[in-house]
Amino acid sequence: MSHSIWNSSGSIYLWWSRMAAMTGKELLQLARDTLLVLAVLYLFTFDIMMAGGVKMDLSKANVVVHDMDHSLASRELIYRFQPPYFQLGGEILDQNEGIRLLDRGEALVVLDIPPRFQHDLIQGRPTQVQVRIDTSNMVLGTLAASYSGQIIGQYGFDAALQRMGLTGEGLAAVPMLVDRHRVWYNPNQKDSWFMSISELLTVITVLAMMLPAAAAVREKERGTIEQLLVSPLTPVHILLPKVIAMTLVILLGTALSLTLVIKGIFHAPMKGSLPLFFAVTAMYTFDMSGLGLFISTMSRNLAQAAMMTIMIMMPIILLSGAWTPPEAMPAGIRQAMYISPLYYYIEVSYGILLKGAGIGILWDSLLGLGLLGSLVFGFGVWRFRRQFR
Amino acid sequence: MNPARIKALAYKEWREILRDRLFLALAFILPVSMMLIFGYGIKLDVENLPFAVLDQDRTAMSRDYLHLFMDSRYFDYKGHVQSERELEPLLADSKIRFAIIVPPKFQENLKAGRPVAVQSLIDGTFPFRTSTSKGYVIAINNAFNGKLLAGFISRKMGIPPEQAAALAGPVKVQLRYLYNQEIKSIWSIAPSMMMFVLLMTPPFLTALGVVREKENGSIYNIYSSTVTRAEFLIGKLLPYLGISIINVIILWLMAVLVFAAPFKGDPLFFFPASVVYVSCTTSIGLLVSLFARTQVAAMMITVIVTIVPAVLYSGLLVPIASMDAASQFEAHLFPAMYYTDIALGSFLKGIGAGQLWGRVGALLFYSGVLWTASYLLFHKRVRS
Repeated sequence: MSHSIWNSSGSIYLWWSRMAAMTGKELLQLARDTLLVLAVLYLFTFDIMMAGGVKMDLSKANVVVHDMDHSLASRELIYRFQPPYFQLGGEILDQNEGIRLLDRGEALVVLDIPPRFQHDLIQGRPTQVQVRIDTSNMVLGTLAASYSGQIIGQYGFDAALQRMGLTGEGLAAVPMLVDRHRVWYNPNQKDSWFMSISELLTVITVLAMMLPAAAAVREKERGTIEQLLVSPLTPVHILLPKVIAMTLVILLGTALSLTLVIKGIFHAPMKGSLPLFFAVTAMYTFDMSGLGLFISTMSRNLAQAAMMTIMIMMPIILLSGAWTPPEAMPAGIRQAMYISPLYYYIEVSYGILLKGAGIGILWDSLLGLGLLGSLVFGFGVWRFRRQFR
Repeated sequence: MNPARIKALAYKEWREILRDRLFLALAFILPVSMMLIFGYGIKLDVENLPFAVLDQDRTAMSRDYLHLFMDSRYFDYKGHVQSERELEPLLADSKIRFAIIVPPKFQENLKAGRPVAVQSLIDGTFPFRTSTSKGYVIAINNAFNGKLLAGFISRKMGIPPEQAAALAGPVKVQLRYLYNQEIKSIWSIAPSMMMFVLLMTPPFLTALGVVREKENGSIYNIYSSTVTRAEFLIGKLLPYLGISIINVIILWLMAVLVFAAPFKGDPLFFFPASVVYVSCTTSIGLLVSLFARTQVAAMMITVIVTIVPAVLYSGLLVPIASMDAASQFEAHLFPAMYYTDIALGSFLKGIGAGQLWGRVGALLFYSGVLWTASYLLFHKRVRS
């Protein structure tokens, strides 16, 4: 009786020591590839720094004016196009010059003010201002349209009030909505918070898929897998250490970039629980490495694995809301998004890091991530084991 | 330089590609599927924003006001809540992206001619979405204000509502969207996608080319042969360049036929410019492959030099013009930005060599630098 207990505890000990030895081997192999270590370090630090410097907002877009009125009223309207969004880029004298400037990308907005603009305003006749916008870039085009619409709308409203003599005292009698918007979680709308966290999540996704896939295919390509197969190791011993080692590396890198870059340089608030974030990241990394293992079973060499990883990874990254608003996706893709682990991971990460949400609020996204993840990972392991039969 | 030897090497490389059926298939499937998925998938339009309302007034007027939001195609109405406390978890869980709070006595105050403050809470995590949704909210508020003012004028001056409406909104805006009249993201996305796909895939084709031979040891055959360095590099690159040029044509056809993006430019300018671009991007892979020691490292470095610039520094999502000085400088270091201008200019603006020759020159210079670097980095003698 006691013998069998000793025996089983011995085999458990053996099981774990094999596991530890194999994990150590994977880490050592990674550490010896200096260039790879540098690349991973770069991804977690400078790369995220670079991404944080990118802004998706209109800043000092060039506005060119074609003013056919040259009156007090037209000048007042023109001077409302001010930084930070716009800057005045001078006046032009004919219509075609505007098109030429737009063609060459030297102006983003061309404002055409009709003749008799002030005259019509005073007479109370409706008048029309034309705004031509270069929309070849979606982000700039939509924002420029929205902001210039706001400026001209407000100008018209003010002009109407002025014409009715409703200034100062009289204004108090006019029923009016006052817009009081409050932006939560990122009150100054710093792009760097969003961009750096988005980039970190992208980097985690890339590494979590690529590193285990590469580690598994490399053994096949070099033939060292034969050595492992004749050893007393089970497929789990060959497989799990790869995933554990890469997960450790990724968690370490995440900690580095959170403290050094995202908090250190961009001062993003870490509102929620960091242990929760790391636990979720570990879970997500496990899931995605399952996908990586699946790829490794499909490919015979690294070139194939690299191409397949890109093919699976890029749609996951770009269609999960890492860089574009997920709500606007067309219907079919929005449904597909719900089976992407990254979609849940993104929501949970922003929830924890910027919004300070805890398990109580995020449980449904966490459940989605857990269910999908164990499915993906289980599938990857199943495929990997099957190829040894 | 001996053409026969280059031909032999290119043929050897081509046979190797042909024998790896999966790789060959992926070399063509990858660009096409990326173009399809992203062409349909990337949408920067801010639409279907989920929102909730807290109506503390519950009168005809507050309902009228809220209906302006509910009826808009930009918003997706999720329901009413009873108190402000309920809004916080909804926002934190991303169930809604913004909320409108109508204060008590909304109708009473407005009828009495007093200003009323309407609050909106907006999720700020994604600043582009935030500014756009803020713009929508302000536009709706302005429209409602215009209506209020028209009603006020009509009552005060005793004139019919239509005439009062004209007085309340004297300046009409006529917005004209150039190059992309319906602001269809697909029109500007399809040409940008050509840039994106042609930056992502060619380097991955070539990235493992040399380093694989190094890792397998077959590079020693080259070292001991009469092939010169330049011949080896050219022979290695040619088949991949060929694949990439075929992909240029396939992607162009997809942009025009599948996505119906208008091609207004000069094909005789666009195609040579595209060939220069893919020669640039394939060379990136070759260069990486030369200085990496292992295939894994080569793969990671290719990710670094392609994915990030392709997404962030190319003008695909983020316009170069609105970046800060440091990022603009970085953007100029990658070939993506120049080709984005060439593709958008050729497709949407219909401009050609006259305006864009500088961009092509930059790409030529870029591939020249990559080639020189590759040539200098490749040695036929093993360093001990």
